[in-house]
Amino acid sequence: MNFLRWGTSKMLMAPAEGSAHAGSSDQEVSDHQLIEACQNGETRAFETLVTRHRGKVYAMIQNMIKNEADAWDLSQEVFLKVWKALPKFEARAQFSTWLYRVTHNVVYDWLRKKKLDSSGELEDSLLKPSEIAAGATTTPSSVVRPDEALMNNELGVKIRKALKTLNAEHRETILLREVQGFDYKEIAQIMNCSLGTVMSRLYYARKKLQTLLSDEKGKD
Amino acid sequence: MKKEKTEELYVKWVDGLLTPEEESELALLMKQDPSLEPDLHQSRMVSQTIQDSILDSVEPPYGDFFNSQLMRKVELEIASKAPSKKAARWWQSLRWAWAPAGGLALVLAFFAGHRMARPSTSELVDSVSRAQPDLVSVYVTSNQLAASVIADGDGAVSAIAIEGLEDLEDDLELAINTEQKEEGLEGLPVSYLRSRAHQFQ
Repeated sequence: MNFLRWGTSKMLMAPAEGSAHAGSSDQEVSDHQLIEACQNGETRAFETLVTRHRGKVYAMIQNMIKNEADAWDLSQEVFLKVWKALPKFEARAQFSTWLYRVTHNVVYDWLRKKKLDSSGELEDSLLKPSEIAAGATTTPSSVVRPDEALMNNELGVKIRKALKTLNAEHRETILLREVQGFDYKEIAQIMNCSLGTVMSRLYYARKKLQTLLSDEKGKD
Repeated sequence: MKKEKTEELYVKWVDGLLTPEEESELALLMKQDPSLEPDLHQSRMVSQTIQDSILDSVEPPYGDFFNSQLMRKVELEIASKAPSKKAARWWQSLRWAWAPAGGLALVLAFFAGHRMARPSTSELVDSVSRAQPDLVSVYVTSNQLAASVIADGDGAVSAIAIEGLEDLEDDLELAINTEQKEEGLEGLPVSYLRSRAHQFQ
């Protein structure tokens, strides 16, 4: 154990800053090794874990709530909850699945606070651009980032517009499957639902997207 | 075929995850409905388009600030937990003494309660076992004691009336000593004397 602690501490000295997938020495340490170090109280290991996963968590939240400022705050909340819950995390569990489960809970709590409709379905009007507070964008956009360039292309705009029309459950299922690449069982774990529900949501979400995108094509 | 099963087949076909058995099931459905295959192809295209158009990872703005803010919150969290942990350790160090201390307190409470509840019995037992020749308790009259003599005219018959006497207490043992002297109980075992005392009581 001490050897592992020493080893991780040594390896963690360098890479804490930089992009999510940048540091090669960062990648040498597995998530489980980092988690073990975190469970021993090493905050440096946690920072490395955050740097490694913050991009995915932020992207997922941003695609769910479509508000950069809130996505930033909610990502912080996710990682703070992760830190608090890490002592209970069991090594046999998949960290990424667990992380997305925490993300799911944080996002749904936020959406619930922003008022749900009575049937439990999430109100998609929340996600309309006109409903988003003015000045919500926090990123200075003097230089267009490569990911922004991709997001701003025509097809990307259409896809995101179509995604917005889906309800939160369908949108999350699509994002977890198509964008994050989770399998059906993992999606069921993250969303705390049955495998059948995942299948049904995927089927209807794809069907709706197909219809919406073909409608867009017809307009063009 | 059930609706859920067909949905599962369509989803798995789009993802390319059908087993050979499922593929043959879907082939059967495609034969029955010729519009199904182009529909599924289109769905697969949409799926592919989403995968190509939406990034799975987007760095949050001001990444360094993101980390520093978060780590500050983490440090605060650690600091807020530290005192309670120390307190827990302090209490934990004394945990071994809780059971014996509790047991001792119970025993003491039992004896204290026992003594308070039955003072007369213990006094009685003490007096009997020591075989004291004196009275156990002293009878005292009240201050308003008054006596009057009533006599007939020639003095052949008279009566004395006494007023203001207190009631005799239940534990007043007048008989023990006299009995001991009269019946010659001196030197008998304490248990015997105790049982006799109870009889009189």
